[in-house]
Amino acid sequence: MPRVNGTGQRIYAWFERRLQLEGPVKEAALHPVPRNTASWWYVFGSAAFTLLFLQIITGILLALIYVPSAAHAWDSLNVLNHQVPLGWYIRALHGWGSNFMVAIVLIHMAQVFLFGAYKFPRELTWILGVFLLLMTLGMAFTGQVLRFDQDAYWGLGIGASIMGRVPFIGGGLVHLLLGGPIIAGATLSRFFTLHVFVIPGLLLLFALTHVWMVLKLGVNEWPMPGRVVRRATYVEEYNKLAHEDGIPFVPGAFWKDLVFSGAVIAAVAVCALIMGPFGPGGQPDPSIIQTVPKPDFFFLWIYAVLSYLPPALETPFILIAPIIGIAILLALPFYAAEGEKSWHRRPVAVLVVSFVAVAWGSFTQLGTVTPWSPHMSAWSADAIPAKFLRGASPLVRQGANVFQDKQCRNCHAVGGLGGQRGPALDDIATRMTPDELRFKVVTGGGNMPAFGKNLSPAEIEALVAFLDTLHPPNQRPAVNPVNEVYTSTHASGGEDIPAAQGAPR
Amino acid sequence: MRKMAAVLLASTAAVLCGCHAYQRGEVSQPVPRPSAVLDFATLYGQNCAACHGPDGANGPATDLANPEYLALVDDAGLRKWIGSGMPGTQMPAFAKSSGGMLTDAQVNAIIAGMRKRWSRPGALEGAQPPPYAQTQTGDAKRGTQTYQARCAICHKQTRDEITNPVYLALVSDQVLRTMIIAGSPDIGQPDWRHDSVDGKPATPLTDQDINDIIAYLDGLRNASPGFAGTAAEPQSGAPAR
Amino acid sequence: MDLTNDEHRLTQNQDAPTPTGIPPLNELARHATSGEDDRVVSRRWLLMKAGIALNGLVGLALAVPVVRYIFAPWRKDSSYESWISLGAVKSFPAGETRLALFKNPFTRSWDGPTDNVACYVRREEADKFQVFAINCAHLGCPVRWFPQSQLFMCPCHGGVYYADGSRASGPPTRGLFTYDWKVVSNELHIDAGQMPTLSNSAKLEKPEIGEGDCTCRG
Repeated sequence: MPRVNGTGQRIYAWFERRLQLEGPVKEAALHPVPRNTASWWYVFGSAAFTLLFLQIITGILLALIYVPSAAHAWDSLNVLNHQVPLGWYIRALHGWGSNFMVAIVLIHMAQVFLFGAYKFPRELTWILGVFLLLMTLGMAFTGQVLRFDQDAYWGLGIGASIMGRVPFIGGGLVHLLLGGPIIAGATLSRFFTLHVFVIPGLLLLFALTHVWMVLKLGVNEWPMPGRVVRRATYVEEYNKLAHEDGIPFVPGAFWKDLVFSGAVIAAVAVCALIMGPFGPGGQPDPSIIQTVPKPDFFFLWIYAVLSYLPPALETPFILIAPIIGIAILLALPFYAAEGEKSWHRRPVAVLVVSFVAVAWGSFTQLGTVTPWSPHMSAWSADAIPAKFLRGASPLVRQGANVFQDKQCRNCHAVGGLGGQRGPALDDIATRMTPDELRFKVVTGGGNMPAFGKNLSPAEIEALVAFLDTLHPPNQRPAVNPVNEVYTSTHASGGEDIPAAQGAPR
Repeated sequence: MRKMAAVLLASTAAVLCGCHAYQRGEVSQPVPRPSAVLDFATLYGQNCAACHGPDGANGPATDLANPEYLALVDDAGLRKWIGSGMPGTQMPAFAKSSGGMLTDAQVNAIIAGMRKRWSRPGALEGAQPPPYAQTQTGDAKRGTQTYQARCAICHKQTRDEITNPVYLALVSDQVLRTMIIAGSPDIGQPDWRHDSVDGKPATPLTDQDINDIIAYLDGLRNASPGFAGTAAEPQSGAPAR
Repeated sequence: MDLTNDEHRLTQNQDAPTPTGIPPLNELARHATSGEDDRVVSRRWLLMKAGIALNGLVGLALAVPVVRYIFAPWRKDSSYESWISLGAVKSFPAGETRLALFKNPFTRSWDGPTDNVACYVRREEADKFQVFAINCAHLGCPVRWFPQSQLFMCPCHGGVYYADGSRASGPPTRGLFTYDWKVVSNELHIDAGQMPTLSNSAKLEKPEIGEGDCTCRG
């Protein structure tokens, strides 16, 4: 009990007598931790915890204005953005806080994995951590739905379509997910419930338990090669380490947590200030079909994976892979509860983390570029570079019109503009002869639709004439050496170029 | 420790640099419905630029930045071509009533924007251009001679060849007529008054001349252009059948 | 007993009596349980078990309506679908494919714009229609019709379909979903009401419409 002198301390004592928190708080704050855990590598968990509170506070602030109704959610977001003073900033804080939180949770997870922190006796801490990651991702997805715009709407459509692939009960699951037959008011209401009540409640409960266990079991010591975890001896060894070469958690290690958390919150604040809130995009009206739905940053990799899977593998992969992945994460501490903690002695662990990071980064990059998506307005928006039309014959110019008009551009880029679904055609004439071009256009194949039925013979000829001019000036177009004589019609200025060697003249 | 601090600094710097790419946080306008967009630059850029060029010229399709063309064609004509497409050409229909994506207000905004940006008052002042729309049929035989006399000088080389039936299958008589009357400055096609790329004045072509030339060119069209009809041999100057 | 031991340990942290002399509350609790004989304790344990059982029963009874409430949307496809008009037949020119909009028949007043559902009507001949759902058969994104190339293209993962709805390229494993249709007093009606997925039909199986085209199976 503190000595009582002065009003402040009297008030403190009054509360302390009733709350009796001083003991446990002191115990938690002053418990010894191994000296080398007071490291900048150990700050991510506390930063994630701090971000959770930032999210709770900004979330409550947004709920003062936001209307979880399909008819009004989008309007209320725009009111927040444009009419409520600094409403845009609170939205930006919540959005950027979400991105930072997912990122920090992922970094935290990679760090504790590499430091072997999931081993005995911290298995349950890791398992709760896996659920915390899933719930953080769940918050990110449901939050994207609450930003009720076209991306949210069609993102739900993708979710429903994935549900619809579940055998036997898929149809019912779709209804359950959407709260009815279509994406509508009921859908937004249930995602609001998940985002505001269910997941945050569980998240807070799990996070507090997670922290409780960290305090009770002690923070994972800095792994040393050769210091092997054994169930029989570990606790004793750890206590010895913490007491003999330890420092009190506060302030020895805690000041770094404080500094890093402060820096992360400051980074969120700066990003929010400079880059502003996310969306909302266009009105969630499904009759607006001029839309190109795209998921938020942390789901881009899934978007990319879904486009690269062979169709036959798609359903099994979508339905089974997440279950296997989660099962592996949950089983990890039981499979490897003992043994080496140091990454120097765990090459497989380091490889796994590197592989996952590289794969995730590549898929996210691909998801940013979406080379598999046709550019829906390329045919009417992306001009043909002037160099391809300079001195072009009237027929070639009509061919260029056909090229645009028939939406070839939606999948094939020219001059760096256009879709990337198919190959860019800037030098297609050097790779394919007119006959090959004609055949390809008519019959399609290799992921290209057949255009034979949709183009008149004249359109095909004009198109081939245009495509045959697409080659660098110093490189002549491809010719069939057997039965095609190189003539000047194949290239503007073709007379300067000698005929292909060995071609009959 | 020091390494960690360096990583922290670097990441903060990266974040700050990333932030610089953007203007500012506060957003100004809700995203409008696509049908509510009436800004000419957006509408033209999304719907027209691919074929008519980003500035109305230098695309494969009609030169819209040609003041003579804009003086020749009236709003009703433009509305028809934009709204329901131009039969016999690659010009698609853009109005919702014809299966396109644009509202009538958007079509009007495009027409108004074209006139505002590219019209030149008095582009055809004092001149008596032949009417935009064809009023009477021409004579193909006479057209052959007129073509040889007035067009073939330039249109004899392959790269300028317009007598190719494949080309003729993809353009309508109206396109040919518009091209002859208003010319196309971006590719050096002179108007009906001039003779050459440099715009040397000549005896203007009469309505009759133009009808004849089009009748001659129409005679070169055949039922199944393409496949057999696309041989590489030049056909310019070939007599009408 | 474990409980009292725990309690004892917990209260150990509290130092001597507070200045006013009031003992801490859990100190009082400890006094209350001390000095009781085993029979009383076992009777109390029995009563507590009875209390738990009572709560379990009540919880179970309440779970039935709760589960029923949660699973309320889980219904047969047909209970969501009904015939709905897309407007006069003459608004769909023969030989063309047009976008058509309708209000979803199953709707709530707070659905806002989300119950405006789009579909594509292809009028092959005067009295022959195909009505396609807007949703791509891959992952439900809105496909767009391009009359110039006679293709439907999906902006998400690049699924492409021909004019008759059959798959042309990309990740979809089947053609576009189709709705049942009928013409009633010169109006085109379709049987619609829910978002089509691989499990939720846009239409019931009706072989004579698909013309044996297996890609359009519901």
